[in-house]
Amino acid sequence: MTDKTLFLIPLLPLLCGALNVLFGMRLPRQLSQAIAVGGVASSTVLTLVLWPLSAGAGTHVTLFTWLDSGTLHVPVEILFDPLSASMTLMVTGVSTLIHLYAIGYMHRDADYARFFALLNLFVFAMLTIVLADNLLLLFLGWEGVGFCSYALIGFWYREEKNASAGRKAFLVTRVGDVFLGIALLWLFKLFGTLSISGINAGASQLAPHILTLLVVLLLLGACGKSAQLPLMTWLPDAMAGPTPVSALIHAATMVTAGVYLLCRLFPLVSLSSTGLALISAVGAVTAFYAATCALAQREIKKVLAYSTMSQVGYMFLGVGTGAVAGSMFHLFTHAFFKALLFMGAGCIIHLCGEENDIFKMGGLRKKSPLVFWLFLAGALCLAGAPLSSGFFSKDGLLAAAYAHGTPFYLTIYILGAFTALLTAIYTFRLLYLVFGGTSRFTGDLHGLPKLMTWPLIPLALIALFSGVLNLPEIFGGHQWLDHLLHAAGSGESHPLSHMQEWTLAGIATALFAIGWAVAHWRYSRFTPAQEKKAVLFFLHGWQADRLVHATLITPFAFLSRLFWQGADLAVIDGILESLGQGCQSAGERLRTLTTGRVSSYLASLAWGLLLFMLFFLLQVVQG
Amino acid sequence: MIVPLSHILGFSSALFVMGLACVLARRDLIMILIGIEIMLNAVGLALVGASAFWQKVDGQIFVIFLMAMTSAEVAISLAMVVYLRRQKATLDADAYDGMKG
Repeated sequence: MTDKTLFLIPLLPLLCGALNVLFGMRLPRQLSQAIAVGGVASSTVLTLVLWPLSAGAGTHVTLFTWLDSGTLHVPVEILFDPLSASMTLMVTGVSTLIHLYAIGYMHRDADYARFFALLNLFVFAMLTIVLADNLLLLFLGWEGVGFCSYALIGFWYREEKNASAGRKAFLVTRVGDVFLGIALLWLFKLFGTLSISGINAGASQLAPHILTLLVVLLLLGACGKSAQLPLMTWLPDAMAGPTPVSALIHAATMVTAGVYLLCRLFPLVSLSSTGLALISAVGAVTAFYAATCALAQREIKKVLAYSTMSQVGYMFLGVGTGAVAGSMFHLFTHAFFKALLFMGAGCIIHLCGEENDIFKMGGLRKKSPLVFWLFLAGALCLAGAPLSSGFFSKDGLLAAAYAHGTPFYLTIYILGAFTALLTAIYTFRLLYLVFGGTSRFTGDLHGLPKLMTWPLIPLALIALFSGVLNLPEIFGGHQWLDHLLHAAGSGESHPLSHMQEWTLAGIATALFAIGWAVAHWRYSRFTPAQEKKAVLFFLHGWQADRLVHATLITPFAFLSRLFWQGADLAVIDGILESLGQGCQSAGERLRTLTTGRVSSYLASLAWGLLLFMLFFLLQVVQG
Repeated sequence: MIVPLSHILGFSSALFVMGLACVLARRDLIMILIGIEIMLNAVGLALVGASAFWQKVDGQIFVIFLMAMTSAEVAISLAMVVYLRRQKATLDADAYDGMKG
């Protein structure tokens, strides 16, 4: 077995996706689905088999040279180091479970081939991002996931709402991609190469202000993909897509690509302390913003969408504090529990007959205990219940911020801790509204296909217990992930005393308990009431859409109208058309001269002759 | 030379103007053609007179050519008159205004 086998990891999903694209509709449904799941599952197995290759500094393999023009030399190369290997394992593993779930979810949809082909293509593009050791190859994957995300959000494109949600996601993430593209070009100009390893190795020679600008550009690129402020408006709308898509793309993998990018380039990013501070500020503010929005949402998937935004904000916060391993840890645990929550939400929506509004649910605990327990497992992780995976990962990030000790990072810590409280409140609000109390649901409960529940069971177990991956020492762990990802780079470490760590853990537990209590007091007996203005403000995401409309879209539309009707129609078209009309009316007048009668031609001939004669006569007289 | 050149030129000019007047004043196709013939003959007369005045044969040769051309022109135009007459049953030149713009 050679190292090149590593290329099979991304290429298998591509192959299966291509099979489904070409023959999907001609194959029996079972076979088409089996191909889709098989591609991703074999990638998972392959990642496990090839895991030893990632040891130490990892394995670097080049397949062939993609572009070779002048100084631009772009080989298709991948780097299988601990960071990319663990990310690959997470992506393929979670994708496999989601693909299985999708079979159950899509069991009545006629367009299964398109759906599975796009899902497989997405996995391919995502794995390209993860494994690529060349920024241009990474960018290829980056655009690939963007396209698949667009096509899958608008999967049910016959409804205008879904199609425009897909367009919005595509356009908003494209804004970020432009900045990433600029960063790429600049990096190429500075280093003469786009190899990630090369850039990371040579980053220390750059001037500080250039580094800071580069980090800002990369951050903006990451913000677009990861739905961070100010490019976050697309994520709530992206929930128009099928639920497996939300679980895979908009919770577990694609939205964390920005975090992964920053981690991958961390040796470069970490050199700019201003950039790091900016990253954690963006993360903390987004986490807080999204948590407040999640408090007011009525649609179950939008609660989860805002909570995803908020949790990705935590990851940015972590990268900004220099805790790469901590961020990746939170990325993994979040991928597990959020995919679980989304798929649970899919089950709930299916049970209630495509009802999205949590105000119209309630009492589902007795109706479907299995879904309740699975959803509870995810929710406990999200809320940060002590000893669940979310507790350790989120706590680790907040501890890293606290450990910096500067007033700026303390502020970040306080914002993050307050967001943790909000997280607990909105999570339990969701639980109480959906599962607690009496049923407000009118209509029959539907059954669930088996494939929609049993992939959730392993995921729930992983979600609850993945905390052991990076168990802090005070809980008797060895911080395995920290050691594994040490090579990926880490900022200056500020060890905390055990006393401080216990205090932080105590604060986190207290916040969780307070959040639960508040949610219990407010939502355990719930009757829907008219929403107040403040709630509506949060429901609409702080009116961010309206702000974008007023500041960007309206002026842009005005300018477009000005150029269209003012410049193009009035000036340019006006000049051309009046020229044409002038010529035409002159011709109209001239054509009356052409009578077609010989006599008038002869008369004008005679008059002309007379004029000549007069002219010569004058000449003679004058001469 | 018995007749002075000025007389010949004066007569030829008078003939030419009469021909032109005929072409301009008449509407009948045949009369227009006759006018053209008269104008051509006026030109021929002027050429012959000039040839005699300068004692050079060029002008007379030119008149021979003019006669040949005139006979050809008459042949074509009379054929056209016959053809047009068949088209519209009239010889009024103003009736044929098919080239009107």
